[in-house]
Amino acid sequence: MAIEPKKHPMPVQDPKVRAHNFDEVALGYDEKTAVAEALRCLNCKNKPCVQGCPVNIDIPDFISKVKESKFEEAYEIISKSSSLPAVCGRVCPQETQCEQKCTLGIKFEPVGIGRLERFVADYHNTYFKGITAVPVSNGHKVAVVGSGPSGLTCAGDLAKKGYRVTVFEALHLAGGVLVYGIPEFRLPKSIVKKETDALKEYGVDIQTDVVIGKTLTVDELFEMGYEAVFIGSGAGLPKFMGIPGESLKGVYSANEFLTRNNLMKAYRNDSATPIMHAKRVAVVGGGNVAMDAARTALRLGAESVHIIYRRSMEEIPARREEVEHAEEEGIIFDILRNPVEILGYHNPENKRDEKNGFVTGIKVIKCELGEPDEQGRRRPVEIPGSEYVIDVDCVIMSIGTSPNPLIKSTTKGLEVNRRGGIIVEEQTGKTSKDGVYAGGDAVTGAATVILAMGAGKTAAKAIDEYIMSR
Amino acid sequence: MKSLMYFAAVEFPDDPNVAGRKYWYGCPFEDAEPGDEVLAPLGRHNNLQRGVIREVRFSKDYEAPYPVYIIKYIKDIVKKQGACSMYKIIEKRELNPTVTMMDIYAPLVARKAEPGQFIILRVDDEGERIPLTVAGYNRKAGTVKIIFQVVGATTMKLNEKNEGDCIADFCGPLGCATETEGLKKVCIVGGGVGCAIALPVAQKLHELGCEVHSVIGFRNKDLVILEDEFAACSDKLTIMTDDGSYGRGGVVTEPLKEALASGEAYDKIIAIGPLVMMKFVVATAKPFGVPVTVSMNPIMIDGTGMCGGCRLTVGGKTKFACVDGPDFDGYEVDFDEAMERGRMYSAFESHAREEECNLFKKEVK
Repeated sequence: MAIEPKKHPMPVQDPKVRAHNFDEVALGYDEKTAVAEALRCLNCKNKPCVQGCPVNIDIPDFISKVKESKFEEAYEIISKSSSLPAVCGRVCPQETQCEQKCTLGIKFEPVGIGRLERFVADYHNTYFKGITAVPVSNGHKVAVVGSGPSGLTCAGDLAKKGYRVTVFEALHLAGGVLVYGIPEFRLPKSIVKKETDALKEYGVDIQTDVVIGKTLTVDELFEMGYEAVFIGSGAGLPKFMGIPGESLKGVYSANEFLTRNNLMKAYRNDSATPIMHAKRVAVVGGGNVAMDAARTALRLGAESVHIIYRRSMEEIPARREEVEHAEEEGIIFDILRNPVEILGYHNPENKRDEKNGFVTGIKVIKCELGEPDEQGRRRPVEIPGSEYVIDVDCVIMSIGTSPNPLIKSTTKGLEVNRRGGIIVEEQTGKTSKDGVYAGGDAVTGAATVILAMGAGKTAAKAIDEYIMSR
Repeated sequence: MKSLMYFAAVEFPDDPNVAGRKYWYGCPFEDAEPGDEVLAPLGRHNNLQRGVIREVRFSKDYEAPYPVYIIKYIKDIVKKQGACSMYKIIEKRELNPTVTMMDIYAPLVARKAEPGQFIILRVDDEGERIPLTVAGYNRKAGTVKIIFQVVGATTMKLNEKNEGDCIADFCGPLGCATETEGLKKVCIVGGGVGCAIALPVAQKLHELGCEVHSVIGFRNKDLVILEDEFAACSDKLTIMTDDGSYGRGGVVTEPLKEALASGEAYDKIIAIGPLVMMKFVVATAKPFGVPVTVSMNPIMIDGTGMCGGCRLTVGGKTKFACVDGPDFDGYEVDFDEAMERGRMYSAFESHAREEECNLFKKEVK
């Protein structure tokens, strides 16, 4: 049988419709399409895709189960390696990981591994009615700080080995960036809840409203009888550019804009949390978070949304699918532009004018690409005199975050690097403090969900070895 | 060996011999809450009996409510008490028609809270997260005092709750505590509901042996709060009302200026109240060169250093009130900008109030 050269297309909501609702954009394969897509897999001996996966899911193995329509068995194979399959199938940048390594990809399009993973996880979540076998307790207690991707993965892996794991979450809801950062239309919150509920069934205890570093310190966790602590507290304070006008009303950090909308449900009419329903929006930055913020602004009713990015489309760091979806929905990409000032309304006649202090525009300067920098990315060079103003009433800054200072300032003996990230041994996630492990954005600075999960997994293995060797 | 742990006071209502008495146990379950039904060994023979947790405490072994080397441990939680979470309203009191005080049961927060820090709460599962500064705490009873003014949709909802009711979330203590070390003579300036936050600072300074002069201001007599409490911890107390209906008429900066002019040598002035008041306290103190600490209360969401909504310009730099503050050097804060940013959602808030009022109107019909 000849191989289909292309991936089976992902059914999606029509761009014109979805630009005005918060329902999920990608609808997922049905059983027939999933089996047909699975049949494209060559089941190669050397499994290059597995090397491309940060948590090393046995990809050809689960795909061959899909070929046989044994979806539940496929799920079991995935869940051996991944604690959050329904999440990863949706948010992983597969094009630079497993699918990039796919043998089929040399000549044709690679197998749609992410889409198949998502299908299998959704199938399990819809049809599985059995009871999860809870592992026998080994009597050891481990604390996990933060319930984001790295923390949940670490907790899940340790719970499956019989540890009594308590996860401490600062917010009122478990999931970390999966609930406050990634929007509903990309990752429905009901899916995150299913994944966290599944962990609870394994005996993981999730304590919300506890800020480690404030409510309790890491040292106190040891005093409470936890034998090891994993820190997956994620990225912290948003960065700003330091240009004039950043304190005007209508300037958000992407974190604030997305938190209001995702965690606090500000998009709903019945929400108590306010958000600006701006007509013209500028989002500064080119990462996944910038795409999320731009598409959220559009769904809140913006007539035009600009992404302002200082390099070209080649260098844009966001996942390709997100950029494509954003373009289809009508987001304007102002590439090779750098903001120099945010302009605000000021009525000198009337100090009590209600519009005073609100954003009216953003002044940007055109750039061209110069020599490559240390990371090999071509550096943007500003073209003098090319400034112009884009009329907007809201600006969302999405230029990254710096690690949260709460834990490092209250934990003696925990070393951090110049940027504030916790220093760890790469193979184990071990920090400079005995019994303390770390992973995810708290270590690397802003990165992806799957890398954080990989770090959580590595640390879980190391914590197991550490406790067992004592 | 555990040296920091939960203790639970258990009552055994089914056993006539011990009914009405409470016994302290070690509690190995971190999610134990008052009201949970548990199995615990009772009496000489340590027979497992069913009891109900009445109180949960979290403390170091040397502060344990019962000696740890002979304490018994709860065996199991048989029935979670369900709907009500940890954060029960133990006491509620209206201080004036728009300001309410509540003691909330939150032992983990009460254990660490210090004057100047704040908490984030949500009233119910659909609610907004709002920051409130700690107005007091009782470490033994595990309660934290909050005092709030009914201004927006959320404080309105909170005010509808009564003693015995629970709120969904109560997270803290957040932010940095007010620096009190080494101060010998301090002037506390409080304005309106800001006095609630100033009080624990005044009390702590008083305890530390510092000479405390308090100037507290309100719009009129009906709005005066915490007079007795301030009197108890201040070496000198001046009450001001804008309309002169109580105490002295005028604004708080007047007596402050007089005191400074008469040569009172304050190590520091701590001003807590409306932004405009703090701005003028700074302006009053400036000619005398006395340092001023102000407590900022900007719009916040997470309160843990993630969203950046609470940013302020302090000394020309962007600072985050939730992790760098809420206390800042008054001379460095850009008050005008903070006032401007504070009004970002004023249209939304007044809309929420109107909606509430319309609902009331409907009910009356």
